[in-house]
Amino acid sequence: MTVSRRDFVKIGAAAATLAALPRPLRADSGRAQSLSHGMADPERRSLAMRALDAATGAGAVYADVRLTHNWTRFLYDKDFMDGESMEVGVRALVQGYWGFASGPVWSPDEMARLGREAVHQAKTNALGKSRVVNLAPAPAVQNGSWVMPVEIDPFEISPFEIMDYLRGLGIFTGNVKHGASLRASEAFFTKQEKAFASSEGSYCTQKLYTGSGKLVTNLERDGRNDSRAVDLLTVASVGWELFTGQPLRDAIRQAIETSERDLKLPVKPVDVGRYDTVVDALGVSGLLDDTLGRATELDRALGYEANAGGTSYINAPLDMLGSYSAGSPLLNVTGDRSAKGGASTVKWDDEGVTPDEFTLVKDGVLSDFQTTRESARWLESYYSRGNHPVRSHGCANADSAINAPIQHAPNLVMRPGREALDFESLIAGLENGLAITQLQTDMDFQHLNGLGLGRIYEVKKGKIASIIGGGGVLFRAPELWKGMHALGGSASTRRFGYYAAKGEPSQKTCHSVTAAPAAFKQLTLIDPERKA
Amino acid sequence: MSRNRDRLVRLDDSHRILSQQECDAIAERVFRLAQGGGETRVRIGSWWQGELRWGRNRVSLASDRRDVFLNVTRGLPFGPHGGCSTNQFDDVSVEAVVRAAERQRARSNQPPPAAYLPKLPKLDLPNTAIWSDASYGATTETRGELARTIVDSAEAKGMLSAGYAEVRAASYAELSSAIRAGEPADYENPYTAWTQAQCSMTVRDPQGTGSGWAGHSSYDWSKIDGAALADQALDKCLRSRNPVGLEPGRYTVILEPQAVADFMEALIAQIWLGRTWAEGGNGPFFLTVDSALGVARTKLGLKIADERISLSHDYADPALGVVPELGMGTSPISWIDHGVLTELSYSRDYALHELGESYGARTPAGYRMSGGTTTQDEMIQSTKRGLLVTRFSNISMLDPRSLLSTGLTRDGLWLIENGKITKPVKNFRFTESPLFMLNSIEQLGPAVPVFRATDLQGGSGRLTPAIVPSLKVRDFSFTSLVDAV
Repeated sequence: MTVSRRDFVKIGAAAATLAALPRPLRADSGRAQSLSHGMADPERRSLAMRALDAATGAGAVYADVRLTHNWTRFLYDKDFMDGESMEVGVRALVQGYWGFASGPVWSPDEMARLGREAVHQAKTNALGKSRVVNLAPAPAVQNGSWVMPVEIDPFEISPFEIMDYLRGLGIFTGNVKHGASLRASEAFFTKQEKAFASSEGSYCTQKLYTGSGKLVTNLERDGRNDSRAVDLLTVASVGWELFTGQPLRDAIRQAIETSERDLKLPVKPVDVGRYDTVVDALGVSGLLDDTLGRATELDRALGYEANAGGTSYINAPLDMLGSYSAGSPLLNVTGDRSAKGGASTVKWDDEGVTPDEFTLVKDGVLSDFQTTRESARWLESYYSRGNHPVRSHGCANADSAINAPIQHAPNLVMRPGREALDFESLIAGLENGLAITQLQTDMDFQHLNGLGLGRIYEVKKGKIASIIGGGGVLFRAPELWKGMHALGGSASTRRFGYYAAKGEPSQKTCHSVTAAPAAFKQLTLIDPERKA
Repeated sequence: MSRNRDRLVRLDDSHRILSQQECDAIAERVFRLAQGGGETRVRIGSWWQGELRWGRNRVSLASDRRDVFLNVTRGLPFGPHGGCSTNQFDDVSVEAVVRAAERQRARSNQPPPAAYLPKLPKLDLPNTAIWSDASYGATTETRGELARTIVDSAEAKGMLSAGYAEVRAASYAELSSAIRAGEPADYENPYTAWTQAQCSMTVRDPQGTGSGWAGHSSYDWSKIDGAALADQALDKCLRSRNPVGLEPGRYTVILEPQAVADFMEALIAQIWLGRTWAEGGNGPFFLTVDSALGVARTKLGLKIADERISLSHDYADPALGVVPELGMGTSPISWIDHGVLTELSYSRDYALHELGESYGARTPAGYRMSGGTTTQDEMIQSTKRGLLVTRFSNISMLDPRSLLSTGLTRDGLWLIENGKITKPVKNFRFTESPLFMLNSIEQLGPAVPVFRATDLQGGSGRLTPAIVPSLKVRDFSFTSLVDAV
């Protein structure tokens, strides 16, 4: 800023004038000026090596270290909040026991302390009964460097431009129709520079991004309101193009029009019973994430998460792999952390593994689990039967180096159907039944039994006839997927981002789920508010 | 290294969280860097955690973690504010965060505060039990030894134990340049340090037909009896195997203290949100003004629960130590008194402007619920047909007007017939309101400390102790069978 800000803001009233200044005068305030001293290679690399040397010197048979530098920016129409942090975490393996130590200080002495502390933590527990950790092989990544390709780095543009943009969407929404407004408009961006090194000779650095947002439209008619969230802004590995590269105004207009239609539809009470049901792509992605997405986490299936989120209905992995019928033959699910834009996409995971694309469910049959280097070995007998190599699928993850990496969900992809069906044509093919949008699922601690709430429509002769007021659907995961009898085609497939918490202490990461709309047989419609 | 890194925080075994002197020194550095007048407010926090996690009868991770936090706000009196956060305390980083806050202040669109509250009088913070040397001193060796005892007892019976033990220390201070310079500003939050500890476990049989849980949290590690918890979880697991399915319906239930505490959270959250919120007509919520229903007043002063129910907090109660909330009254507080809703939290701002009082009313961060004298055995003996519930899980609210919620039973559910526990029962989904529970009480057990996750309310990582009785409640509504274990 060319005007001396010190002079300017000394006078309190002047601040108000400042807010009214034309844009160009504010141009300099845009680029993110790093809050922290930061650090680049070779200094960062030498810190990493210092930590590894301390850990192996203290007796670790394997050690790895992560150094993360995070930027966060949360914005809404009136203000924004910036945060920045740096962390380092060292993990050490001694006689089958893991120790971990982490902190915020990037100095050579602290690296040595953390390396020794991680070993100390591991050794203390190695006093107990024997435990075997036999890490699945992973080729060392030497001098890897990767920058996630995003079109517009959200930290390189002015936060005020983003706030203006959000305000602009609010004004636009108000002009779509009388009674229309934007109830919420938010944007959240993260950037992370991460260095990983292991005692097996890996050293790699990555720059990763996520972007997400929230736009909630509302239409008021005769004292009644209908709100809905624009579903284009769930978390993804993208930059500011999440907003500018998508037809948000069309989506807002469509949301308002859907609200207008829904407010005109008759509202019927719940007629408890079983109905064939069509669910939109968002709902199917949520169902997939909350059932098979959680149930195929190998550590969860084996009971390691029992005291936290719970276990899995796929509870005997080695007996069930290759034979368990997880759903109808239409059901094909893969996991990957490599697809461009996927919310959990990385070049290397938190163990330095290059993630592969792997098949979790093939033609309805369970064929693999989400794994790390430690847990991949637990499936060795299954892999060797099929002549598959024992390898991690690259699912080790934690949001920052303060947290120890555990197995988190990869991006999940459900293969679309062969026919060119979409939500509307699936409804058209339904004589009588239900259609659901804005579905939210509430699962039990084995991800087996679910309650789904959302906008439930009655479908008659292939057309939406009314809204079921206050309805919900009950389902069991295996029957749900076995009853999936029609699936939208590739043009109807959409990708959505989800956050998921796991572990003790709880840690949260994000991933994407790609799915098409689908038709399910015989879900149970209930009034969730009716007591027994 | 070229940058000035001599101000890095030093953290080692003997020094795991920031001291008061360090926080003061950091604040002074920030204050000196500020340009352009006005108030500089710093919030400085730090935490350390020693953790141990186990699964399938072996420790899966032992960890030692710590972090620090600095938030700087720059604001003009009655003018805009801007704020920014970092966890780096070197000179370069600290100056950068001050400048960022100033840049943001210069363009903030946030409406400035209309007026400052009168300066908070110097207040002696209550003497409350929030620091335990036993927690701070619990080493990884201590935790490891405990975990071995716990898993050995499960393994000896052929069961699988998974669990988590954690000790934590944390500090927080919020300091203002204006307070120090005698300029307009209402308060500083003096340096406070506290400890936390928790241990919980789930024991399952290898076939996955039974599951038992036990857990406890306290500021004081020495108050947690891990071996006793292990016995409880194992016993529940063994007795819960091969459950039978019952028809959903209304049952008399004996809710163990943990189940009662789990279900109380919905009501606690409403008290937490408090008066301003309830009176503001912020949507159709139980305690609030509700124009759609023609309800013009909050539930304050009305009887909302059985007259045997009171909900209170006293800083002097050593089992209820919480980090003092600044600007709030320190005398004992009662939110529910013999069934009557007597208080909702309110801010100092509300106290000054609406009530003409000096201090606000604190939140139920910690609370004691009144209990009775009926033992669990006596409750069972007096039950012709009913269910014994260990705890609830996955609770979500369906109707905020009545607090009607749905959720699941978890880790131990038994049928009681003719005064005796007869068989384990498959889990249920329930559809019920905590207010119904509080108005359908047949018997109350002694109130005891329960496990309460620190992030349930407010997510601040502060202490949230709760003392809760078991309750025998009639006509509790179970709406569907859930065959998950």
